[in-house]
Amino acid sequence: MVQLMVTSAASRPAAGIAVAAPPGPAPARQRRVPVSAFGVISVAAMVLGWWALSAGGAVPRDLLPSPGDVWAAASDILRNGYRGTTLWGNALSTLGRLGAGFGLAVLAGVPLGLWMGSSRVTAAALDWIIQFMRPLPPLSYMILLILWLGTGNLSKSALLFLTAFPIVVAASAAGVRGVNKQRLQVALAMGASPFQLFRHVVLPSAAPMVLTGLQVALAAAFSTVVSAELLAATDGLGWMVISASSFLRNDVIVLCILLLGGLGVTLAWMMRVLDRRLVHWRGRD
Amino acid sequence: MLRSLPSWAITGLSAGVLLALWVGVTSGGLVRDLFLPGPLDLWDGLTELVQEGYKGRSLLEHMGMSLLRVGAGFLTGAAAGTLLGLGMGFAPRVDAAAAPFIEFLRPLPQLAYLVLLIVWLGIGETSKITMLFLAALPVAAVAARDGVRNVPPDRLRVARALGASEWQVLRHVVLPSALPEVLIGARLALGIVYGTLIASEIIAGSNGIGWMIMDAGRFLRSDYVFAGIAMIGLAGIAIDRILVLIERRVVHWAGR
Repeated sequence: MVQLMVTSAASRPAAGIAVAAPPGPAPARQRRVPVSAFGVISVAAMVLGWWALSAGGAVPRDLLPSPGDVWAAASDILRNGYRGTTLWGNALSTLGRLGAGFGLAVLAGVPLGLWMGSSRVTAAALDWIIQFMRPLPPLSYMILLILWLGTGNLSKSALLFLTAFPIVVAASAAGVRGVNKQRLQVALAMGASPFQLFRHVVLPSAAPMVLTGLQVALAAAFSTVVSAELLAATDGLGWMVISASSFLRNDVIVLCILLLGGLGVTLAWMMRVLDRRLVHWRGRD
Repeated sequence: MLRSLPSWAITGLSAGVLLALWVGVTSGGLVRDLFLPGPLDLWDGLTELVQEGYKGRSLLEHMGMSLLRVGAGFLTGAAAGTLLGLGMGFAPRVDAAAAPFIEFLRPLPQLAYLVLLIVWLGIGETSKITMLFLAALPVAAVAARDGVRNVPPDRLRVARALGASEWQVLRHVVLPSALPEVLIGARLALGIVYGTLIASEIIAGSNGIGWMIMDAGRFLRSDYVFAGIAMIGLAGIAIDRILVLIERRVVHWAGR
């Protein structure tokens, strides 16, 4: 984008700039307010607007808690806990469910996807199941899982597993199918064994796609875990939101939303770092 | 032996095995029909739903209500998100100002803010459609922004060198180049909106197809639950297909 701006400024004839201002000062003014400042300004304006609306009394305090109220709720919950649970305990149980379901989906889904990508028979036998599961909203089969496995952690972990699994499988299979055929032929012609072919040609070529699938799957599982906790749970951040709403504790709801947003951003960032570490050759084909 | 069969035969075989397992397990009495209804029970449940509806509303009405919500939330959210994203792609300042909110909103579980929206806007349609709007917005915005950013700089330079005005560059170079990504973003957003709506109807609904399966689950009518899940899956596939068709029509130049 910077490049786009530079080209537009450079290639535009002087007329446009000359009418607005002499060519000299214009770039100088741009330099005085760096682009990144606009992010800080807009966030600050948002917080200020929020504070003015709630503390100024334009909106009833119990509908929209002020930033101060949320801060007070945060420090109170950190010190005294929330209805017998702690904030960290709730965050940990949400993350634990997410880890269990997503981890299992990765352990089972990546090998299955790689297998489906390399074997026509396996793909033909299983792909239709994956393709039917993928567009199903996970919460719709949550009801069945509760019926089969009860309302405990087992049904929630199974739900997250089923959310992430088809995404991981489909991405891994697509990654293998997208391997450059010439590369396979060259490796075979040079006498690579099937294992060498898989280890040194298929796996490195498919890895970027697999990692992309993991990122999408984790985001979907994160969204689902909170929905599942809203529906049936006795702890977790989603439970905290639904419990706070029944006691009209909007300050706690806002606090949880901010925490969940922060957690989501952190998880996405961690996956991106992992991606860069593991497949540093991405995009250099 | 399997290797000599064509792919469709293997798919059919695997579906047949699964069906046989289903029939065997349910008719043998291994599993109570409360947990897993047999194929015939499921068929009876489905025809009953189609003929008599569920709790005073026909199946089509429940489905229609859900799809109307999806349509309203998706169209407003995707339109606003695309406009915002195009602006973010063009102007680094707009990008810098809007990015913190977009990046925060995107991974945020939608159902978490639905609770707050219900407190503010009531339990009716407004809160649900606002949530769907907020679910579609960041996805569409990011896709449109990346679409504009990925316009090949050479194309822009050539257009400008040939004397195109800024408006012409926008109309004839940037938009056609960005449109494929905008539509991919729209498809992604539609999937998210659909899943979010079903989840919200399950958690806080009083009609719609998501509410129907939740309510049927409460009365342990697992044949209705299964039939409803199948309908939800088929409708999800159908609306995705429709968007793919539109995509092919509108951006027939994609990938060239």
